Amino acid sequence: MADAQEETLKKLADAVLSFDSAAAADAARAAIALNVDPVKAIEEGLAKGLREIGDRFERGELYLPHLILGAEAVEAAVKILEGHMRKDQLEATSRGTVVIGTVEGDMHDLGLRIVASMLRANGFKVYDLGYNTKSLDFIEKAKEVDADIIAASSLMTTTMPFMKDLIEALEAAGLRARFKVLVGGGPVTREWARSIGADGYGRDATEAVKVAKELIARGRNE
Amino acid sequence: MTAPNIWEVLDRACNTGQIALAKDFDMKIFNVASRLVKEYDIKYDPETPVPSDDSLADDAWNAGLELFREVGAYCINSGRVVKFSESEIGDALNELRGEAVIGEGSERRVVELRSVEDKRPPSIVCGGVIESDFPEGELFVRLYQSIAQEPIIDGFYVGPPLHTSEGRLVRSGTPLEAHLGRSMASWVREAIRRAGRPGMHFVSACTPAIANVAACDPNEGLRRTDGIVSTIMPELKTDYENLNKVVSCLDYGCIEHVYNGGMIGGWAGGPEGALIVSIASAIMAVTVYKIGVGASYNALGYLRVSSPNYSAFVTRPCLWGSAIGSQALSRNTKIINTAIAMTNAGPGTEMQFQEVVAALCAAIPCGREGLSQGVRRFKVKPLLGSGLENRFWGEVGYAMAGVKRDFANSLAKEMLTKYENKITRESEGGPLGHTFDEIYDLNTLTPRKQFLEVYGKVKKELEDLGLEFKYYQTAR
Repeated sequence: MADAQEETLKKLADAVLSFDSAAAADAARAAIALNVDPVKAIEEGLAKGLREIGDRFERGELYLPHLILGAEAVEAAVKILEGHMRKDQLEATSRGTVVIGTVEGDMHDLGLRIVASMLRANGFKVYDLGYNTKSLDFIEKAKEVDADIIAASSLMTTTMPFMKDLIEALEAAGLRARFKVLVGGGPVTREWARSIGADGYGRDATEAVKVAKELIARGRNE
Repeated sequence: MTAPNIWEVLDRACNTGQIALAKDFDMKIFNVASRLVKEYDIKYDPETPVPSDDSLADDAWNAGLELFREVGAYCINSGRVVKFSESEIGDALNELRGEAVIGEGSERRVVELRSVEDKRPPSIVCGGVIESDFPEGELFVRLYQSIAQEPIIDGFYVGPPLHTSEGRLVRSGTPLEAHLGRSMASWVREAIRRAGRPGMHFVSACTPAIANVAACDPNEGLRRTDGIVSTIMPELKTDYENLNKVVSCLDYGCIEHVYNGGMIGGWAGGPEGALIVSIASAIMAVTVYKIGVGASYNALGYLRVSSPNYSAFVTRPCLWGSAIGSQALSRNTKIINTAIAMTNAGPGTEMQFQEVVAALCAAIPCGREGLSQGVRRFKVKPLLGSGLENRFWGEVGYAMAGVKRDFANSLAKEMLTKYENKITRESEGGPLGHTFDEIYDLNTLTPRKQFLEVYGKVKKELEDLGLEFKYYQTAR
């Protein structure tokens, strides 16, 4: 029995590593049938596969489409496993919820997709609003999904001011304390993030994930 | 037969092209590019940043052509795919004139096709400072005067928009930016007048079309011998802003400068996928952006998307892609193709000069017609940019004329050895460099001694390595 469970955990990791959503969903069903703890299935199966993808992306061996396909495979399996988890397990496994987008006037989305995929790969629930996202749309979505973090990216110096607008709009709506704001993108610097009152800055996808985790931990301790 | 004209292209982009989700288009690029890389057996070789293999260049060309034929281009606003038949692509390529005329009066330049290892110098040396953190007005004029006074520079790139207009913060797409586009063009005209070169060519690179259109004015702003930059977004994507720029260039009759490239680590995959998607992008510049009409030209670049993301244009895989992409286009098309370098290090540093040399090793011996979009520091800080690195950009461009690819390969490797290990997270990608007012005496507009010494030291090292500086023997 233990061997069968180990085999299933391996199948979950392998399905993610081969970017196969259908195989990941099948492995999740098999895990449930074998009474594998769903939390264990996520942490020792799916997450293992995703970590490997993340490491290989860092080393330049895998690329953006792999991150996306790997994250999709995880989502397909988690959807099945979640139905068999207790409320406390669901809360314990959730890293947090992030609403992410490129700010108004900015049509760049490639870096955004990388950060979104890396966040998903690290257990965050991510709502990707894409490029050219107005401040009020970030806020509406964050309210709707009860997000922990609003993550905004900008690739142009002339769209960076819209990040400042986002923070001002949160303040005006009395919601500044409710959501952490994480910013990043080509011309965005740590100094800029500090000057507009953002809670965090990620100079690349790896740092964005690290800071998002810190913001969630900080939020839980507040 | 003739290729579909701009109105037919716009009809496909706005009205009749098949509707698709962006994600599906992106994944199709990944799948097709991955298949073609395998079929053509294209393999990245880090030991050879500047390959001399003609058949590799031709394979890359054929793979890029197949990729574009199969996938087409995508319009973000309409969600429509713009596709072309094999014969339409062939007709568009056949319509290329292989020549561009820029500038006016005594600053008129004819940009001609160059072949791989061509002995002729680059036809155009277009410098500039890709930097937005300069104040409005006089200092901006002095910056461009410092570039325009360099005889080796034939023109320059102006953009992106500054941070302020009339002292007010500029946001993209707002009226303040439209006004700024006009202001920047008029300051540049003042700079070239002061340098005694009023006919000099420049290209305006404001992001929204309206800011460039507002600059169009034969008397005080952007003339028909100047240009507007339109961008092909990664990968093979356009939008109404960029198509508005294309139409405005055609309607006004000015030069179109199309900026495009392959993103390593992005939708097309690794260096091999980015190489063939960059070639597909150049074909998109011909078919969708119509660079075959009039005197327009194409600037092909390679970015790396990965962590750490400092390595714009001049890392080893970027050089490899640039070198083969240049050869592929030079050997198979009449596209006027210019080089770009965005450096990790800032102005006034040895490392920035080394990065420029590496970028040009992968461009001029590989058949590019010229240089455009001068050096920049990837992460901006105020006042980064000067005429001095533009002078170096031009001098090395000339020195590369007649250089064999084998030598360019060894020189590029030598440069990479010097700076590769400095592109780290801890160093923020390399030294920030020095500001315009540190490098230049602003009263006399001359570079200060310490920076000329850095310049001379790097030049001497290059001469010792066998690079012959010949601008002053071949200057027009």
